[in-house]
Amino acid sequence: MSAARLEFATSRSTEFVDLTERIRDEVGRAGLRNGRVHLQSLHTTVGLAVNENEPLLLRDFQEMLERIAPTGAGYEHDDFTRRIDVALDEPVNGHAHCRQLLLSAFLTLLVEDGELVMGRWQSVFAVELDGPRRRQLAMQLDGDFVRPQRVDLPEALVEVELARQLMVDPEPVAAPMRRLVEAGGKRLRPRLVQLTAGIGPRNDPLRAAELAAAVELLHNATLIHDDYVDESTHRRGRPTVAAAEGPERAIAVGDYYFAKATRLIAEIGNPAVTSAVAEALEAICASQIDDVALRGAYPGDRESYMGVVRGKTASLFAAACASGALLSEAPPEVVGALRRYGDLLGTAFQMADDMVDFSSSSGKPVGLDIRQRVLSLPLIYAADDRVVGPEVRKLLAGTLGDAEVGRVTELVTTSDALPRVRREAQALVEDAVRQIENVELDGLRPVLAGLARAAVDRNS
Amino acid sequence: MSVQQLDRELDRLQGLWSDGLSDAYRVYLDSVRHFDADVQPKLALAAALIEVGTRLQGLGGRAAPPTTLLMGDLCLARGSRLLADNAPLAVQVAFARAIESISSAAASETPAPPTRPLLQQSLGATR
Repeated sequence: MSAARLEFATSRSTEFVDLTERIRDEVGRAGLRNGRVHLQSLHTTVGLAVNENEPLLLRDFQEMLERIAPTGAGYEHDDFTRRIDVALDEPVNGHAHCRQLLLSAFLTLLVEDGELVMGRWQSVFAVELDGPRRRQLAMQLDGDFVRPQRVDLPEALVEVELARQLMVDPEPVAAPMRRLVEAGGKRLRPRLVQLTAGIGPRNDPLRAAELAAAVELLHNATLIHDDYVDESTHRRGRPTVAAAEGPERAIAVGDYYFAKATRLIAEIGNPAVTSAVAEALEAICASQIDDVALRGAYPGDRESYMGVVRGKTASLFAAACASGALLSEAPPEVVGALRRYGDLLGTAFQMADDMVDFSSSSGKPVGLDIRQRVLSLPLIYAADDRVVGPEVRKLLAGTLGDAEVGRVTELVTTSDALPRVRREAQALVEDAVRQIENVELDGLRPVLAGLARAAVDRNS
Repeated sequence: MSVQQLDRELDRLQGLWSDGLSDAYRVYLDSVRHFDADVQPKLALAAALIEVGTRLQGLGGRAAPPTTLLMGDLCLARGSRLLADNAPLAVQVAFARAIESISSAAASETPAPPTRPLLQQSLGATR
């Protein structure tokens, strides 16, 4: 499954925006071979339609909408004196809502052999009914994907580099790391390295893949020690190194790949890159200490949470973005913008990860973070909640068995905590995207924006 | 450079200073005389942090409890950052290879080479 947002701006009050080519591009970019494209309007005054893109016909549609739901025809929705919670900028738009009811908010299109299945005269429209505005559609693609070569090649380079590095290592350290690496993972950090390494004038995909693989090894080395500290038994569906081979082996394997990754990065020969990653690693370790210390005051507060997350997760995202750009000798303002983008994205990513703990469709046991007393923003917000907060705090103060974890999960999901965290994560992502708005990124901005949004809109 | 000037580098680790870190630091000072004066204390501290860090972790012996492991991790990370910012590439690589060799021996449950001579040798690496 692939998810993205289609954004567009309208310039008139009623407007038919033809999105057919953009959707075709998205199908091609994602490599969807056979499947479906699902579109959903995220607005109550934007509809979706499939019809002919003929200017006079579009005018006919507009006049039809005007006849059925005329502008200013005394809609009760427009009587602000009788409504509560009316925003200061609330438009008079009863007609637009009524017109939207005649259209659909959802659309599914079929894809066969990599092509949208469309009739000769068919086009896909987003119908603006209360413009001009900036608008968004949610889009999901599902089915069989054949990834296009330009996306596949960099990813394959990292996998080859990871396999090559693990092949030359002594088996007692290589075997546990190989199991962890082969179990998957999102590979977001290496992807960020590779993308940002294409921005500056010195674009060398092989060196970028070496750096990306080293960053991924470093990330996995920290996970191996984390799992011992958290007493986790499984990661990515497999037993953790500590659970499978004992804590002594886990510490040695983590140390080995910590050292090897820093050596591989140093050997690339760019001191700024080496320093960027070394600073991130130090921030990760310092935040781990804070994280464990805060478990005594579980679930903690938002400020402490943000401090830990920025060090523990966001710092490596920021370093991944900055180091790729530094490797390609991108200008300092670009490196700075990407570092800020990575920092915000990493924080949002962790918030999304926290929400996954409450999702039964994630493939992970629900409530694992609660059981392990891992810092979690939804839990912090639920503990602050006026209604459920007292019971959440009381449960967290005691022993957490299955019943207690289940009840806490129930309380969190019935409160406003999850939507609140989601809004916050989405706002951080939009802030991340703004950081890269005013720098030259050689056409990569949409990819980075899409990657950031997808990192938050996920359930696993 | 005085101990006070190294304060920033000892953030969160002050407790270790009187618990073996200062002794190790002084020993390594003798191994960094061939570097510029301003980086000598940083490189000696890097080596001391790495030695103390692996010892705290229990590398090659009984695993440290989680909180002690994390302290050891921070020592290693800070030592590594000090090397990244102040050491020539050859020294950075030699230190990494030293940790690789110690940890690989630990994972294989074979005797590890003694840490201090290995790190002192790393400080003399030129290629």
